[in-house]
Amino acid sequence: MKNKCAPYLLLLPAFLLICIFKIYPVATTLQQAFIVDGHLSLGNYQRVFAEKTFWKCLEVTLKFNIVTVPLQIVISFLMALLVSNNIKGAGIFRTIYYIPFAVSITVAVMVWSLMFQYNGGIINSFLSIFGIPAQGFFNDKKQALWCIVVLCSWKGCGYWMMFLMAGIKNIDSSVYEAAKIDGASYPRTVWSIVIPLMKRVFLFVCVANTSSNMLLFAPMQLVTEGGPRNSTNVLMYEAYKSAFRYADMARCAAIVSVLLLILVAISLVQFFALGDHDARDAKKAAKKAARRGVIA
Amino acid sequence: MKTANLSASAARLHRKAMRKKYLVRALHYFVMLLVALITMFPLLWSFFASMRSDVELYKYALPFSWHTIFPVEYTFESYRVVLTELGFPRAAFNTLLVIAIQIPFACLINSIAAFAFTTFDFKGKNALFAFFVVSFMIPGEAVTMPLYQMVNKFGWVDTRWALIVPGIASGLQLFLFRQFFADVPSALIESARIDGASWTQVFFKIMVPMCVPIYITAALMIFMGEWNSYMWPLLVARREKIRTVQIMLAVVKMEHITLWSCMYAGAVLSVLIPVALFLPLQKYYVEGITAGAVKG
Repeated sequence: MKNKCAPYLLLLPAFLLICIFKIYPVATTLQQAFIVDGHLSLGNYQRVFAEKTFWKCLEVTLKFNIVTVPLQIVISFLMALLVSNNIKGAGIFRTIYYIPFAVSITVAVMVWSLMFQYNGGIINSFLSIFGIPAQGFFNDKKQALWCIVVLCSWKGCGYWMMFLMAGIKNIDSSVYEAAKIDGASYPRTVWSIVIPLMKRVFLFVCVANTSSNMLLFAPMQLVTEGGPRNSTNVLMYEAYKSAFRYADMARCAAIVSVLLLILVAISLVQFFALGDHDARDAKKAAKKAARRGVIA
Repeated sequence: MKTANLSASAARLHRKAMRKKYLVRALHYFVMLLVALITMFPLLWSFFASMRSDVELYKYALPFSWHTIFPVEYTFESYRVVLTELGFPRAAFNTLLVIAIQIPFACLINSIAAFAFTTFDFKGKNALFAFFVVSFMIPGEAVTMPLYQMVNKFGWVDTRWALIVPGIASGLQLFLFRQFFADVPSALIESARIDGASWTQVFFKIMVPMCVPIYITAALMIFMGEWNSYMWPLLVARREKIRTVQIMLAVVKMEHITLWSCMYAGAVLSVLIPVALFLPLQKYYVEGITAGAVKG
C-alpha cells in the first residue's frame, strides 16, 4: 500500500533510538580506536599489540572459546535429542532443562562460586566421597577458567537446546520412517540424516554461541577479577578494566574492535564450514546470526 | 510340529525385541533424569542451603552425609535478613518499575515500525530494513563502554532514564513483530480500509488483537532481559535508591562474603519471579525466538 509519510513516521522513533543508542556508540568506538591526538592513526593498536597483557588475554579468550563453544553445542544437541521425541514426560524434562536459562548470570556465578568454595563448598564435599582432596577451583590458576566453563555451560545449554530442538522437530517425520525401513541404527540416523538436515540451525547456534562467549566477562568481573595470575583475564574483561579502572577509553576501544574483528572472522569460517555455499543462504544465515541479540 | 516351532521362536524373538525396547526406554528415562538432576542441583542446593544457618552449612560440609545437603534445623532467618536488612523488596520494586515502563514503550515503538514494513511500500524500504537487521547484529556488550560515556553526557548516570531508554528500540523485536505481522492477510486490512477505518484503527483493532502471542513473547523477552541484566545496571544504577535486583545481589556477594545462607536466599528469591513467569509462558518464548533460526 502507498502512503507518503505514514511509514516514515512509524519508523522514526525506532530508527532514532537505534541510531542514538547503538550506531552512534559503535561509531565512537571506531573513532576512539583510530584517532590519536586528532589524527587518523594506528597508534592505539601499536600500543596494545606491544603489550604482553594483550597477548595473554587473547590466549585466554581463545582457550576459553575453543573449549566452551563445541562443548556447549554437543551437550545442547544431546539434550535436545533426549527430549525431542514424544516419550511420555519429555515435556516436563524439557521445561526443567530450560530453567537455568531463566537464572541470571549474577545468581549463577554466586551459587557456583559458593559451591566451588575450597572450605565448605558442596563440590569438595562430593569429591571427598571418592577420596579426592579438596580442590582450589576458582583460586587455582589451572582450574579457574574451567570452573567458568562449567558455570556457563550449566546456564547456557538449556537455551541453545531450544534452537536445536526446534530444528529437530522441523525435520519431516517421514525422513525418520524411511531411515527405519532402511534399517539404519539410531546413531547412524542422527549422524547421517538429522545433523546434515539441521546445518542451518547448527550454523546459527555456532555463530550466536561464539559471539556470546567471546564477549562474556561477568563471571570474571564477579569472582576471579581475571585471576588467579591472569588465568581468566579475557579480552572483554581487560577492555572493561581499561574503561572503568584505568580510564583509558582508547585502549578499550582498540581491544573491543580487535575482539569484534576476531568474531567476524570466526563467523565467516563457520559460514564456510557449515553453510551452503550460496549467496542467498549466506544472507539468510546472516539474518539468523543477528538474532543472537536475545542474549544481550 | 514345524509351525509350532516356528511360532515359538517368533514369540521368543518378539519377547527379545520387546525386552530390548523396554531396556532402551528405561535407559532413556534414566539419562533424562540424570541430566535433570544435574540441571536442578545448584538450585535445589541453594533452596536447602538458604533455610539453614551458616554455622550448620560449614559444619556439615565434611565428611559427606545426609546433612551435607539437607538442613538439620530449618530457619528462615536468612530470608528475613534479605527481605529487611539487605533491601531485596526495594531492589525488586526498582527492577519491576523499569520493566513496567519499558514494556509498553518497547512494544509500541518496535511494533509500529514492523507495521510500517509489512503494510506500506515506500522509498528506501529495503535499505531501512537492512539497517535494522544490521543494528541487532552488533552485540550489546560491545557498545557498553561508549554507551556509558554517552549516557554520562546526558547526565543520566544513576538515574532510571539510563536503565529504561537505551533498551526500548530493538532490531530483534522489530524483526519478530514483522515476521508475525506478515502472516496477517492483507485482504483483511484492505477491507477495513475500504470500510473507512483509519490506519490507527487498523493497527489497534486488527493487528494488535491478531498478534497477541508475539506481544507476549516481546514482553517476556524484555522482562527476562531486564530482570537478569547485570553489566549495564552495574555501570549506570549503583545508587541504592534505584539499584536493581542483580546489583543488590552482586553487592551482597562482594560486601558480605561470609553471609552464605543470605546469598542463597537472595538467589532463590531472585530466581523465583522470572521462573514463575517463564514456565507458564515458555511456549511463547521458545516459539518466538526459534521461529527465525529454524525457518530462516
